[in-house]
Amino acid sequence: MNRILLAGLVRLAITLSVIAAVILAVLIPFALPHEHPGAVIAAFLLGPLSSLRHLGNVAEYATPIAFTGLAATIVFRSGLFNLGIESGVFLGGLAATTAALLLPSFGPFTPLVAIIAGAVVGSLSCIIPGELRLRWEAPEMVTSLVLNFAILYAGVFFLNYYLRDPAAGSLMSYRIPADAKLDRLLPGTRLNSGAIVALVACLAGGVWLYFTRSGLNLRIVGQGPVFASHLGLPSRRIIMQAQLVGGLIAGMAGAIQVLGLYPRFSWTQLPGLGWTGIIIAILARENPFYVVPAALFLGYLQVGGDFLARDIGIPSEVVGLVTAAIMLTVTATAIFQHPAVLRLIRRIRQAEGTR
Amino acid sequence: MTDGRDDEERAAGPAPVVAFDSISKTYANGTVALRDVSFSVPARTIHAICGENGAGKSTLMKILFGLEEPTAGRILLNGQPVATATRDFAGRHGIGMVHQHFSLIPTLSVTENIILGHEPRTGLLIDRAAARAKVEALSRKYGLAIDPDAITGRLPVAAQQKVEILKALSRDTRILILDEPTAVLSPPEISELFSRLRDLRDHGITILFISHKLNEVRSLAESVTVLRAGQLAGAARLADVPDNMIMQMVMGRPVEITRRQPRRMTGEPLLALFGVGLASRDPADRLKGVDLAIHAGEIVGIAGVDGSGQRGLVSLLTGAARPTVGSIRFDGHDMAGASTARWRAKGMAHLPSDRFTQGGVPALTLIENAIAGTDGDKRFQRGPFLRRSAIGAAVERMVRDYSVRALSIGERLDSLSGGNVQKLIAARELATEPRFLIADQPTRGIDVAAAAFIHTRIVAAAERGAAVLLVTADLDELLRLSDRVVVMFAGQITAVLANEAQLTPERLGPYMLGLEGMP
Repeated sequence: MNRILLAGLVRLAITLSVIAAVILAVLIPFALPHEHPGAVIAAFLLGPLSSLRHLGNVAEYATPIAFTGLAATIVFRSGLFNLGIESGVFLGGLAATTAALLLPSFGPFTPLVAIIAGAVVGSLSCIIPGELRLRWEAPEMVTSLVLNFAILYAGVFFLNYYLRDPAAGSLMSYRIPADAKLDRLLPGTRLNSGAIVALVACLAGGVWLYFTRSGLNLRIVGQGPVFASHLGLPSRRIIMQAQLVGGLIAGMAGAIQVLGLYPRFSWTQLPGLGWTGIIIAILARENPFYVVPAALFLGYLQVGGDFLARDIGIPSEVVGLVTAAIMLTVTATAIFQHPAVLRLIRRIRQAEGTR
Repeated sequence: MTDGRDDEERAAGPAPVVAFDSISKTYANGTVALRDVSFSVPARTIHAICGENGAGKSTLMKILFGLEEPTAGRILLNGQPVATATRDFAGRHGIGMVHQHFSLIPTLSVTENIILGHEPRTGLLIDRAAARAKVEALSRKYGLAIDPDAITGRLPVAAQQKVEILKALSRDTRILILDEPTAVLSPPEISELFSRLRDLRDHGITILFISHKLNEVRSLAESVTVLRAGQLAGAARLADVPDNMIMQMVMGRPVEITRRQPRRMTGEPLLALFGVGLASRDPADRLKGVDLAIHAGEIVGIAGVDGSGQRGLVSLLTGAARPTVGSIRFDGHDMAGASTARWRAKGMAHLPSDRFTQGGVPALTLIENAIAGTDGDKRFQRGPFLRRSAIGAAVERMVRDYSVRALSIGERLDSLSGGNVQKLIAARELATEPRFLIADQPTRGIDVAAAAFIHTRIVAAAERGAAVLLVTADLDELLRLSDRVVVMFAGQITAVLANEAQLTPERLGPYMLGLEGMP
């Protein structure tokens, strides 16, 4: 165990140094024209850590993308590249708003009911492409991508005709009742109890995948479909179960985002949290335990970008640039499967092995 | 004095075309692949190189082919020492290599594949006419008939291998290395290949032939060099040494080659197929009117050229396919069209021919691969949770009992060699004490020691009362293990023979080719 841990640390160290190099490489060109280039980089890197409130902002950003990262992880682990998570978030937020507005109050359980409604309705976005794939072999990547937009426009239609507040200036729902809103955790931030749910969900997801029989079966079906049928595993059921769970989590992400942050539901475009979730899943190497740090890291970059925008006047889109560059390098086999790295890791493992 | 030396040279045959002089190779990670290996290969001979997996055969050939640099020692070609691992080393010295896994591009034509890397040109363009003419000339010269315009990926495996050989010969090749060339071929294709290789030798080409299979080495090569754990374990002219001597050199200890005493079974068979047919788009899967019975404790071997319906038969009996007609009964139950889960619940276990896609998941650990499919086993599970310490102990025991060589059971499956993967799969499949075992090419491509081990386990399973279906292209293995031999051709059974002493591969031949026994 010890040497496997140690070998894992090598990968972590390489990942961190690659990320650091990328951040600096992207940031330095923006910082150089500035009067104090050092201050720009310091604001980006240290700003998010400078106070409890800013750390709270990091966690606030991290909450929804930890959910979607977990959802993407579980869906991808089944071997399907199902992108329905994106519209699952949208649908989850819309359904939770609808439940909060149309259903009576359930006292302290009102948010729970709304979140469940959001999760259940949101899961459709992953279930439908999964079912189409298993039943008719329709490529799930295509169907889910197209379905994302079908769901978006159907949702906007629903918002416009059933939830729209005519008194509001633009297309948005009535105000979400106060008892449906999530508790705020930190004054001055929008960090809410959803963050705790996200943390617990990611840990539970990790326990599921790595410590239970059904998690092992899911990984077998995803990584070795032929082996799964050799064993006689019920592959279809296992794949659909992963689509269902991924969809539920995506819907939950949307519900928690809307109930935790916004006074009204006002999404008329896909929120993009599902796409970020895919980035998180890849960054976390499709391991739920790593989803939390990966989400916090992207949250940290986002808050750093906000600092640049607010204090220095560098567009916060730089964050997108940094993220993209990190994704390119972190997924680069040339770096992480480099013979020298593999040799180093093998040597560490063997050194302990022959003790 | 001078005369004496001449005599010696005459006795040793022609001057060596290749000589390895104290070659050692230590990899950067400290693995010693070769230690002080010296031997020479006379010109115009076929020389076999034998040894277990990891004995250093491939490393040595890579050094000769210029892909690796030796840590110490020299290579002499025609008596001259040469600098190794230089650019285009193999091309300049006329060395060609046919790899075990083909290095052809399936979407390119035969001609394009052969000329790739040294295309004849007119200006900037490839001179296609010249290229085609060159390929035709090569093909004629060496008697390897091939359509130069065929798309390589659509050719049968044996034809692709011809392309691979022509490619290796395409640059004035004097030395040809073949790495386990017969692993993908059926017996008639193997004898065809061997006669072509003899022709090549008669054309003056020196052939180095890497193989696991002793019978092939014996029928093809004149001399053999055996490597064991990176060192020279022996070298001999094949005419001078018996099989068990070579086996002893390979394994480092004496080996018994014995044929199992076949048993005659009577009474109710455990598994019975009547008039089973399977329709399929792929002719290799089709079955017609198959009657087959296997008794408890009996090993029935299926012989046949690759693609004679073995795959269809295995898929019916593992639940991967449903018969179009006919009945399948196992232990009194109707099992026609039963799912894999149902077959397994009835006690079926399966050693699949494809180890890394069917037999396990390369990216998962040994532990995970070893306990896959044991759903609901109370030893390994408490509720939905896996019992990690109990599992760890059980897998440690499996690894020990089946002598799987692994750094730790937490390693990924693909860190193991082929033979060790197969041992782990056997450990998993046999742990269930199956009543019906399907062993599909159980020892293909694995070393002699691992193969012998797998054989003892298959026999032990039969002795515990399992009905065993052995599907193998290795006729020695078939005859060594089976109680009865069933021969298939074109999806039909052409013979059912008791495995008696007079049953030889030669007697099976006409049935395997459908010349006899067709209904």
